[in-house]
Amino acid sequence: MSVLFILIGASLLLAIGFLIAFLQSVKSGQFDDDYTPSVRILFENDLKSSPAKTKK
Amino acid sequence: MTKAITNIQHCYHCGEDCKEEIHFNDKTFCCQGCKTVYEVLSENNLCNYYDLNNTPGTSLNREVHKTRFAYLDDELVKSKLIQFTDGKISTATFYIPQIHCSSCIYLLENLYRLKQGISRSNVNFMKREVHITFDNSILSLRQVVELLVSIGYEPNINLNDLERKEKSDHIRRYYLKIGIAFFAFGNIMLLSFPEYLGINALTESPFRRFFGYLNFVLALPVMFYCASEFFSSAYNALKQKTLNMDIPIVLGIIAMFARSTYEIFSQTGAGYFDTLGSLILLMLIGRLFQNKTYDALSFERDYKSYFPIAVTTVNNGIESSIPLTKVRVGDRLLLRNQELVPADSVLIKGKGNIDYSFVTGEATPLSKASGDVIYAGGKHIGAAIEVEVTKEVSHSYLTQLWNDAAFNKENADRQITSLATQVSKWFTPIVIGIATAAMLFWWNKDLHKALNAFTSVLIITCPCALALSSPFTLGNVLRRLSRNKVYLKNALVIEKMARINSIVFDKTGTLTNTKTASIDFHGEALTPYELQLVKSLTYHSSHPLSRKVYDLLKEVKLIDTTDFKEIEGKGIEGWVDENCVRIGSKKYLYGDNSGSSSPISDFRHASKIYIGINGNIKGFFLIKNEYRKGFGNLMTTLRNKFKLYVVSGDNDAEKNFLGQYISADNLIFHQQPADKLMFVKELVEQKHEQVMMVGDGLNDAGALKQANVGLAISDNVNNFSPACDGIIEASGFERMDQMLAYAKDGVKIIIASFGISLVYNLVGIYLAVQGTMSPIVAAIIMPLSSVTIISFTTLSSSLAAKRRGY
Amino acid sequence: MEVEKFKYDNRIVRNFGFASFIWGLVGMLVGLIIALQLIFPQLNLMEYLAFGRLRPLHTNAVIFAFVGNGIFMGVYYALPRLTKTPMWSKALSNIHFWMWQFIIVCAALTLVLGITTGKEYAELEWPIDILITLVWVVFGVNMFGTILTRRERHLYVAIWFFIATWITVAMLHIVNSFELPISLFKSYSLYAGVQDALVQWWYGHNAVAFFLTTPYLGLMYYFLPKAAGRPVYSYRLSIIHFWALIFLYIWAGPHHLLYTALPDWAQSLGTVFSVMLIMPSWGGMINGLLTLRGAWDKVRDDVVLKFYVVAVTAYGMSTFEGPMLSVKSVNAISHFTDWTIAHVHVGALGWNGFLTFGILFWIIPKMFRTELYSRKLANIHFWLGTLGILFYAIPMYIAGFTQALMLKQFTPEGNLLYPNFLDTLTNVMPMYYMRAFGGALYLIAACVGVYNLVKTAAQGSFLAEEEAEAPALSGEYHAHSGEHWHRWIERKPVQMLVVAFIMVAIGGIIEFIPTFLIKSNIPTIASVKPYTPLELQGRDIYVREGCYVCHSQMVRPFRSEVARYGEYSKAGEFVYDHPFQWGSKRTGPDLAREGVGNAKKRDSWHYNHMEDPRQMSPGSIMPPYPHLLDRDLDVSNTGAKIRAMQTLGVPYPAGYDKIANDDLEKQAQQIQASLKEDKIQTSEKKEIIALIAYLQRLGKDVYSQTASEQTSELK
Repeated sequence: MSVLFILIGASLLLAIGFLIAFLQSVKSGQFDDDYTPSVRILFENDLKSSPAKTKK
Repeated sequence: MTKAITNIQHCYHCGEDCKEEIHFNDKTFCCQGCKTVYEVLSENNLCNYYDLNNTPGTSLNREVHKTRFAYLDDELVKSKLIQFTDGKISTATFYIPQIHCSSCIYLLENLYRLKQGISRSNVNFMKREVHITFDNSILSLRQVVELLVSIGYEPNINLNDLERKEKSDHIRRYYLKIGIAFFAFGNIMLLSFPEYLGINALTESPFRRFFGYLNFVLALPVMFYCASEFFSSAYNALKQKTLNMDIPIVLGIIAMFARSTYEIFSQTGAGYFDTLGSLILLMLIGRLFQNKTYDALSFERDYKSYFPIAVTTVNNGIESSIPLTKVRVGDRLLLRNQELVPADSVLIKGKGNIDYSFVTGEATPLSKASGDVIYAGGKHIGAAIEVEVTKEVSHSYLTQLWNDAAFNKENADRQITSLATQVSKWFTPIVIGIATAAMLFWWNKDLHKALNAFTSVLIITCPCALALSSPFTLGNVLRRLSRNKVYLKNALVIEKMARINSIVFDKTGTLTNTKTASIDFHGEALTPYELQLVKSLTYHSSHPLSRKVYDLLKEVKLIDTTDFKEIEGKGIEGWVDENCVRIGSKKYLYGDNSGSSSPISDFRHASKIYIGINGNIKGFFLIKNEYRKGFGNLMTTLRNKFKLYVVSGDNDAEKNFLGQYISADNLIFHQQPADKLMFVKELVEQKHEQVMMVGDGLNDAGALKQANVGLAISDNVNNFSPACDGIIEASGFERMDQMLAYAKDGVKIIIASFGISLVYNLVGIYLAVQGTMSPIVAAIIMPLSSVTIISFTTLSSSLAAKRRGY
Repeated sequence: MEVEKFKYDNRIVRNFGFASFIWGLVGMLVGLIIALQLIFPQLNLMEYLAFGRLRPLHTNAVIFAFVGNGIFMGVYYALPRLTKTPMWSKALSNIHFWMWQFIIVCAALTLVLGITTGKEYAELEWPIDILITLVWVVFGVNMFGTILTRRERHLYVAIWFFIATWITVAMLHIVNSFELPISLFKSYSLYAGVQDALVQWWYGHNAVAFFLTTPYLGLMYYFLPKAAGRPVYSYRLSIIHFWALIFLYIWAGPHHLLYTALPDWAQSLGTVFSVMLIMPSWGGMINGLLTLRGAWDKVRDDVVLKFYVVAVTAYGMSTFEGPMLSVKSVNAISHFTDWTIAHVHVGALGWNGFLTFGILFWIIPKMFRTELYSRKLANIHFWLGTLGILFYAIPMYIAGFTQALMLKQFTPEGNLLYPNFLDTLTNVMPMYYMRAFGGALYLIAACVGVYNLVKTAAQGSFLAEEEAEAPALSGEYHAHSGEHWHRWIERKPVQMLVVAFIMVAIGGIIEFIPTFLIKSNIPTIASVKPYTPLELQGRDIYVREGCYVCHSQMVRPFRSEVARYGEYSKAGEFVYDHPFQWGSKRTGPDLAREGVGNAKKRDSWHYNHMEDPRQMSPGSIMPPYPHLLDRDLDVSNTGAKIRAMQTLGVPYPAGYDKIANDDLEKQAQQIQASLKEDKIQTSEKKEIIALIAYLQRLGKDVYSQTASEQTSELK
């Protein structure tokens, strides 16, 4: 059953990897706003007719 | 030629009724402002804005004076508002209460299309904030703000922003801790399963060791990072020679950790790391639950958040904008329409028309002549005036309230100890007592067992369940209330609320509703045609009273008006369809010779507007503030349970009316803000009553702070409300009794759950003292008790909420 | 700082989309064929198209070709739009596409040719495994490259699901694919017996979790709100649900091995975590369904949403059923029966199938700038498909349940009520007819759908490059710490990559571990001996023909099974099995004790049975294997195989590989002789001889022990 060592080791490393990712993204404020992103994805990324003609 | 409005059109942009219709691209707009926004958006191909929601815009009826935001060019202000800049790239975050739908997000995140120099903008819908990155070399902060204003999203900039503190950080820290705890706990539990499930100690001992060490490693961050705050709070408590709930918790944790470590390294057992993990995880979740904050609301607002950041000064004719903090006695200030009087001062030039509605709740503006004293906090309406500052901002009539002792409320807060803390006062010594007793009992019989018993007791009595009951109950109560537009500053407020025995109300704006006023006409009835004349004239005036009349005559058609005149603080007149129409104060229509003075003075709480057509006075509109919906019933129910008081800045005109509900000697009138404060102070300190103050205006702020519970009532919680313990939206006013009852329920539930968790503890102790408690027992009993508590508190508080209609 | 203009590459999306439904049709067609083969054995036309070879083809085609391409289609569409950035490298995208299709073709060919590792869902031989690893790296580089250069600060939850998928699948694939090649087309699993089984199902379960579930949840979180035009019900819930799922899923693997020779605590571990999984899984389902709350009128007339609703519901059902099946008492009934088949097909047909088609129906009209060719057809597709699922699942549930119960029934005297496995099978045949019908319905539905999509594409004009613009993210600053926060962003995926490499590193570590692995095998039962060369060859034929698809080699410790097959299996018996052949489904009886006790048969029986099963056991649905009778056994590689086994720790005497073939011939001649006794003339060189040798060996080693302990140890 020693293969369990490997499986557990592997899975644990994986989990740690995800943990790090989680901590990082919390730190960088990824989850500060837990509503707006869900709306943001609904906007079609349409074009502005011509960027040049913004009035000064 | 008369323009008739047959059926009221709705503005394509803001959805408001169109008084005059402006047509553009076969769409109708209520005003130039709305039309311009539409033009801008359509020319930048942002019309999605209108597709996502119907009429998402906000009315732009009020034109903006071009120098209104001049103060944003002031270096000091800039440096405070701009969060980051490298001279070119700058970022700033604005609070915009108008943000209300996905269209808002869409538009505000596409700002870069509207103006060169805005590189990106990011909305936080919950906080009603937009975070803008712009190029300083192309665009100034002021231009950015003006851009926002021009599309109907005027940011709310005030002194507080200059000292804004980041709140999200401590919530983030909870996320981090919970994340780590969850991860560690999950894996520890996984690795402990073999233990529960009877791993074969002989053939698989390498696994046991392996799992044991892994568990130890996983437990380290939980012990030394996640649990840190329990340690620190316990330490603080000891430093102040008090006992709080965290002390027994910390004892338990330490015992668990130490014993587990010993067992694992001495190969004598599997340890309690799984239990340790689960407890800390649960308690952290509890804390997070309890520390829920309302991103969009602030309970700390004082006059700073109401006053402008900067004001315009005039010395010998040159206007310049200086930060409010720099205003000194003797400075000459220029106040434009809708600008606020920042400090007590004397009117020098122009006709003052000061709206104190915010300070006193009084809707009708007071007219001031040069030489009159103007108090800080009033809003000037009408043509610009010049004033000379007589008192520094901080010493002004209104603002000095904040220098009062009452405002160091923090120490006041500390005096009120939460239930949990009270319990732990006797809990801790007993636990330690039992533990030592058990140890001594076994001491000479079996040393190992003695230590076992000692640690077991500490472990099993680790009062996590106890510690969870308050957070989960109160947290749930907070959430339920907030769903019903009652926002409390923190969980402690609920406990305080449950204790109050007397309530003090402010009158104007709190019991009465300044927004909806009853208005009816007294005198000879006006013909439809005359009504037309009246409405047509009032259409041109921005005076609140004229507006009220205008709104009253909804369905009436308009007629063109010529040479309209508005005499500040007196009234309006003009020629409508060859008729001279005059509307205004008695004084204004009857001429100064008539005895009575301005409508405001003849009685404060109701206003009369006289109507004169072609020289003869037809009568007057009587405008009277109404009491809030459900006022009567509320008072009758409340007075059985609480002592009721009304402290009002107004005169006693309403004494008789209020007398029906509240004993006359509890009705106090002519109260200045400071008096209100003193009144509450007396109740609290002399009469030792548990007082809840309910008010709305800045003038109540002192009293709100002084009371055990200060509740601010507001028609829109996103708008300004003075510093307080809780903000309640006007709609919730009539159910205030339910709210108080619910708070009481909450406390009852907590006490009940204390009982439950104590039962668990007794069972645990019974096993523990015998020194024969196996880890699995702990691993079952303790999470089980916690889960019982969590579900019990959550369920029962939800049920209570249902019963109370929350 | 300037607004940046860029183009989304729709071509790659279209290609993956088309690939997805084309391979989908193929996979489903094969599925239908094998379903029919179970009714009409004569449909096993030739050795290459026999059930044992087509069934792995079916699973691989559906999972890796249909769903695989579906995933990539979704990711290549959603990821750029979520990050406001085109895919990092068009070249990589195309390499990814073509390599993946190449792999699929290779898979199809090799499987049909009987080139397989004999591990379910990982049948592909080592060269293809390497190819897969390469494609995966290509995909990863492309994906993380995109994330690194993105223009939207926030990583939408869907992206998290994609990332998790990539990393986990990478690790699973590597850990499970450690094999020792002896030739281009043949390798032996590094792990033996129980260990192999554990690794295999740790992989097998997570392949389901992270190939069929997480990526599709990601897609759901993007396409469902898009199609419904409303934000997901609770974004917070979606985040929590993601992290919970990630931390739990990994551990559920062992539930595939309940009641096997796996240690009890390892089994229960699997159970517990599988049961816990229900929470995050349902979190996803609830979130998906509630997104449509108050929009059910929309659902009524929007066929795309209909597909999503059924898909999400199916997800909910199978994620509820899964944990249930991993409860020991339920598993005791369901395992090895058609119940499992029903379970996986609810997931595959409902969740994956319908979600894929839902996405296709939404994405194709968009990319071809037109309306869907026919709503009517789409609705027909929807209803036929739904019916198909029902007609597939329900009969399978019934079949599984009835058969399981029949197999467990005893007469009052204490004998099995149905001693002959075949009786139980023939009893459920009607269900197999209905299953085939259901499958046919679903296939027809799919064809209608594909026709609809093709027509849609034909009537529209394809927008290959979709223009878009967004402000750059670089030059952004972290609001609070005033720090350059695009560095944060850069760091995070870089970290993910690092993690990924750690995973690969684990693979490396494992390279060094085998020796330690092999030494530390289960305490070996003294009587268990390595296979003789002939048996070894026979075993490879057994693997080649995919016998494990229908025959388990794992007697569970139940009275019924012991009575039927003989003593229950011990972990120690499998130490020389590379790979393990426990199987997961019993369409035929278990073979673990085929060579001994009441199951034992004469060599001639096997000979005739292989020639045509029905002459020995009428009513059998087993395919005939005439080619084994007339094809000569290839003994050239015997030496190599022995050597390989020696490296894997099988204790053959040193230098045995030289003389192995002599022993092989001796044993062959004995069998030839025994066949002669039964009037069967054949050369000792034929493959059938080897297979017989292997079958007759099965279970011998332990049987020689005293019978006393057998009954005593029963659980």
